Amino acid sequence: MEAPCRGAELVTAAVGLAAVACGAANILVWAGPYDGIEIGIMAIGGPDFFRWVWGSLVVVFGGVMMLAGARQMHAVPGYGKVLLGVAMIGIIGGTDIFALICENIPAGEGAQFFNSATGFIGAFAPPYPPAVVLLPFALVIGCALYAGRADDGC
Amino acid sequence: MGLTADERWDLVDAIAQRTVAFGISRQTTGDVLGELTVKPLTGIPTALAVLYAFWSIFGSFAGALVTDGFMIKLFDGYWLPWMQAAWPDPGSVHYFLFVGDPAAETCFEAFGMLTSGLFVSFGVVLPAIFVFYLMMTLLEDSGYLPRLAVLMDTLLHKIGLHGYAIVPAILGLGCNVPAVTATRTLETKKQRFIMMTLLALFIPCGAQLGIMLQVVPDTVGWVLLYLLIGFVVFGYVLSRVIPGSNPEILIDVPPYRWPQRANVAKKLWNKTRGFLTNAVPFVMLGILIVNILYLTGFIGWLADLAAPLFVTWFGVPKETVGPLLAAFLRKDLAVAQLATIPMTSYQMITAVVLISIYFPCVATFAMMVREGPRQLLAAIGVLAAVVLIYGGLIHAVGILLGVA
Amino acid sequence: MHDHHDRLTILMMGNPNVGKSALFNRLTGANAVVSNYPGTTVDVTKGSLRKDRHSYEIIDVPGAYSLEARDAAEEVAVRILDTHPDAVVMIILDATRVERGLYLALEVIERGAPCIVALNMMDVAQDKQIAVDTAEMQRVLGIPVVATTAISAEGVKHLADMIRKAQVADLSAIRSRLNGQEPDQGAVARCAGCGGGGCR
Ligand SMILES: Nc1nc2c(ncn2[C@@H]2O[C@H](COP(=O)(O)OP(=O)(O)O)[C@@H](O)[C@H]2O)c(=O)[nH]1
Ligand SMILES: [Mg+2]
Repeated sequence: MEAPCRGAELVTAAVGLAAVACGAANILVWAGPYDGIEIGIMAIGGPDFFRWVWGSLVVVFGGVMMLAGARQMHAVPGYGKVLLGVAMIGIIGGTDIFALICENIPAGEGAQFFNSATGFIGAFAPPYPPAVVLLPFALVIGCALYAGRADDGC
Repeated sequence: MGLTADERWDLVDAIAQRTVAFGISRQTTGDVLGELTVKPLTGIPTALAVLYAFWSIFGSFAGALVTDGFMIKLFDGYWLPWMQAAWPDPGSVHYFLFVGDPAAETCFEAFGMLTSGLFVSFGVVLPAIFVFYLMMTLLEDSGYLPRLAVLMDTLLHKIGLHGYAIVPAILGLGCNVPAVTATRTLETKKQRFIMMTLLALFIPCGAQLGIMLQVVPDTVGWVLLYLLIGFVVFGYVLSRVIPGSNPEILIDVPPYRWPQRANVAKKLWNKTRGFLTNAVPFVMLGILIVNILYLTGFIGWLADLAAPLFVTWFGVPKETVGPLLAAFLRKDLAVAQLATIPMTSYQMITAVVLISIYFPCVATFAMMVREGPRQLLAAIGVLAAVVLIYGGLIHAVGILLGVA
Repeated sequence: MHDHHDRLTILMMGNPNVGKSALFNRLTGANAVVSNYPGTTVDVTKGSLRKDRHSYEIIDVPGAYSLEARDAAEEVAVRILDTHPDAVVMIILDATRVERGLYLALEVIERGAPCIVALNMMDVAQDKQIAVDTAEMQRVLGIPVVATTAISAEGVKHLADMIRKAQVADLSAIRSRLNGQEPDQGAVARCAGCGGGGCR
């Protein structure tokens, strides 16, 4: 019973740390001279204040919350913090994906109303903003934690 | 007869002791989150996240998907050219009233009842208020709203309002009309007066936000910042100046609940229907009236008359008189009309802020009459003063920043 | 005052956010606004209920913590109570927070109006392991007490049936019952056995 729980704590802390790092990087890039950087499948930073500063601030807070809760994530205060942190990263990642969907259902300029299927799917090619990359990890942690508490896991 | 409060509480205790038994129960996830989301340290980041989601979804759905994606193409590409071609004799009065400018290329510019009127109502504002009301309803039904109120309490304290006062303000973001009624939950006349005035002045409604997103997408943040600053500054001043007591309001925070799908659907439908039956006719009527006033030369005359005030004091083109008149009927219409006037982006910010604060729309006004006719006079006095002072201040800030 | 006798008025009163409007909608099929924050209802909504040849006018009253009104919404509540002296008052309690609701309930009882109690939010109380003894509450108060869950409509039919049995409660009798004495057998005390949410 001990080992998997420790593992979960480490994973949570790692994701939290990654969130803090990515979020902070976004803000730095926004403030710096570049218009956005691509690292692997991740796109860091951009010109839009709302998305890259406000949104990234939320990612940073989410990461901090996960870090703060990770050590006692199987007891009440820690559990809530991790769940809340996961939710915050989920909100940013989720709204990013929602924005992509909304922007790509209609066709761009031109006489067409609807985007083609390939055009629509093509819009989901990398690079992704960090919150989207973190989203699956955060969701897995969140679901496992919620389910674990429901049947009183470790 | 007549028990004292203490005797009554004793009796309550005795009855409760007899009838209620508490078992041992673990905190539910809702309880845990409920606590974390009101504590400032964890609650403020959560609030930032919720507001982000709110605005992001609003922009993605209403802006990118419906209006930019489909409505603009539909109205500018098909409806407007068709109307311009099909309606008989351009240059006639009825053409001007119903279709508007025969050379216009967008439905914003045309400004006829059947072109801009339909476009603003159904192309821009309807999708905006639809998502807006959906998210408001989720906030209301989940139980997050009062938690936001608790978090804002610290800030509001400084401006002389307490905790629960923020609920009418948040509701006002949906529509100011029910928000005015919601001020009834405030305790003293002073609190109600302050809240009602601030509401009428600084809280833009969902329809207005939707059209702002379309007309000034890049500077809407500035507009909102100016409104927020105005809310705080004038709230502070009013709470100092207005006599009366300002007792603490205890906020009763309900537990989180899952919104009931049927309830959400019902409320969403009722509000949307309310928009269709109450607001759309006003938008149409507004365009008709404004166009008639243009034709009779009244607006031109008023613009010349008000030019010194507008141009020198507020720093906006004198043509903004027209939209300001329209703003009394519908603020969304007024903002749409601004789009047709050529001006710099800072002038646009100023003009949009002015439209928001200068007078409540007619529906809100009627509600304020109902809630307190005597206070309304005072509110209008405050309003006039605030518009003059704040409009000038915004202009001054622009000059200092070198953008006006 | 007596011209309304053919149509009994029921005032739904209780603390804010205990589910008055939700219950009102269930009883009348009306469209009162239901939200999860105190202060949703600040105005009066009316509806009607027909039940076995009885016709009732039901009024959803704004929430109040006490009849010593502190805000405008509570003033509306007190005014409605004052203008309907013949009305039956349906007191809605939140089963997870019985105490606060009882304070208002006692104030209403003191005014001498015929009352009936709806103990709402039973589902939440169950989840929180809070057990409320409806039969005992009915015996002590001397008025019908019905357990309900407005969102699933559980107990609502029973509540509608029991409106007819609304009683004027007596404070001194409540006191003596609490002290273990059994005063005069009230009409409701006899039907104590049929109380509780289970019997629909
Ligand atoms: N779980 C549960 N929720 C309820 C029940 N009754 C009402 N609610 C919820 O409680 C909240 C307040 O209900 P409302 O009718 O507006 O309360 P009012 O202020 O007393 O009119 C809403 O979110 C309802 O969905 C119930 O019996 N069980
Ligand atoms: Mg209600």
